[in-house]
Amino acid sequence: MTKHLRIELIIERMAHKRACRVLEAAGMTGYTVLPAMAGYGNSKRWSRDTDLSASGDMVVIISVGDEAKVRATMEQIGDLLGAHIGIVTTTEVDVLRPGRF
Amino acid sequence: MDVAISTLLSPIILFFALGMGAALLRSQMSVPEAFAKGMALYLMMAIGLKGGVEMSKNPLTMDVILVLGAGIVLSFLIPAIAFACLRATTKLDRVDAAATAAHYGSISIVTFVAATEAVRLSGLDSGGHLVAVAALMETPAIITALVLAARGGGKREKPVAGSERGELVREVFLNASIVVLVGALIVGWIAGEKGTASVQPFFVDLFQGVLCLFLLDMGLSAGRGLRQGWRQLSPMTVGFGLYMPLIAAAIAAGFAYAIGMPAGDAALLITLSASASYIAVPAAMRLALPEAKPSIYLTLSLGVTFPFNVTIGIPIYIFLALLITGQS
Repeated sequence: MTKHLRIELIIERMAHKRACRVLEAAGMTGYTVLPAMAGYGNSKRWSRDTDLSASGDMVVIISVGDEAKVRATMEQIGDLLGAHIGIVTTTEVDVLRPGRF
Repeated sequence: MDVAISTLLSPIILFFALGMGAALLRSQMSVPEAFAKGMALYLMMAIGLKGGVEMSKNPLTMDVILVLGAGIVLSFLIPAIAFACLRATTKLDRVDAAATAAHYGSISIVTFVAATEAVRLSGLDSGGHLVAVAALMETPAIITALVLAARGGGKREKPVAGSERGELVREVFLNASIVVLVGALIVGWIAGEKGTASVQPFFVDLFQGVLCLFLLDMGLSAGRGLRQGWRQLSPMTVGFGLYMPLIAAAIAAGFAYAIGMPAGDAALLITLSASASYIAVPAAMRLALPEAKPSIYLTLSLGVTFPFNVTIGIPIYIFLALLITGQS
């Protein structure tokens, strides 16, 4: 088992392609995008069925990489979240096949 | 008065009221998301096709070109007025005011569809070219809003991380509603009445029923949006959502009078100008002005102005059209 970092980014759907480009540019070898159903933040409840534009929808992006790549990614993600709605966290995880990251 | 009563008691408005009431009462009723998106595509295809077929029956005259031009000018102009009103009467900052103003310069295709039905129920005729006007009025407002936001230093020094050249242009000019609406208009124009006869049972006979179901979903969306976002709106901001459609309607009525539009067409141009976008513009604003708060502009457009327009606004706009054409 090898220690790596897992990024979990919850971000508005309209900005998720920007986030994916940031991950790709930083050399992250993969990521997964999941739809978020509903939530609460900034004193406001939200859910994905409130508007037809889906501009208020949120997605969760999960990616795993070594520490150097993740640190490089976080700087750019910080810039992204300076403009767009979202939060990001990192967690230390064990991976079975480090060569894939 | 008859127009107002027949509009308010039409099944589409009653289903809208049902949806909005259910959402405000916290009912768990919902229309599946993919089905709602499918219905939106169907309605835009149907209205585009119908407009294209109507346009194929008549040549492109100077009168039609004037109406198309009026639509573009109105879409550029109304956001500037909306922005000035917001800055003068609310505490919204420049970016929030510009993003909100963009919604009011653009159009709501569902309000347009509801107005088309109300115009038909009033016994008035309307031209198919108004669908083209609707498509043309979708985007100029976004450009005005970006200029207004940038003038006060609202423009970022460097693009947001991950931005790609051309992504905003794609979102603004190639969003689903414009592609489907304009595409169906062209298909209808090329195929004509004879060519589209085989698809009439799907796009004409089912239209009213699908519209009722769609308005039920819109009522649910508007009610839930209002319930979740009303705390973000000050009384003056809510007031803007109610008086701005009337200001835009008065300006559009002036244009319609100057061009000499018939009552049915004038009613639709006035409705388009008075309506506020909640599909194309919110998505574009999240890319162009991400600092603007969607809880303000979306709640205002979908939760305040849309219900106002489909219940009270449309009869007023038809009356206004009758007034300027001397038929009231």
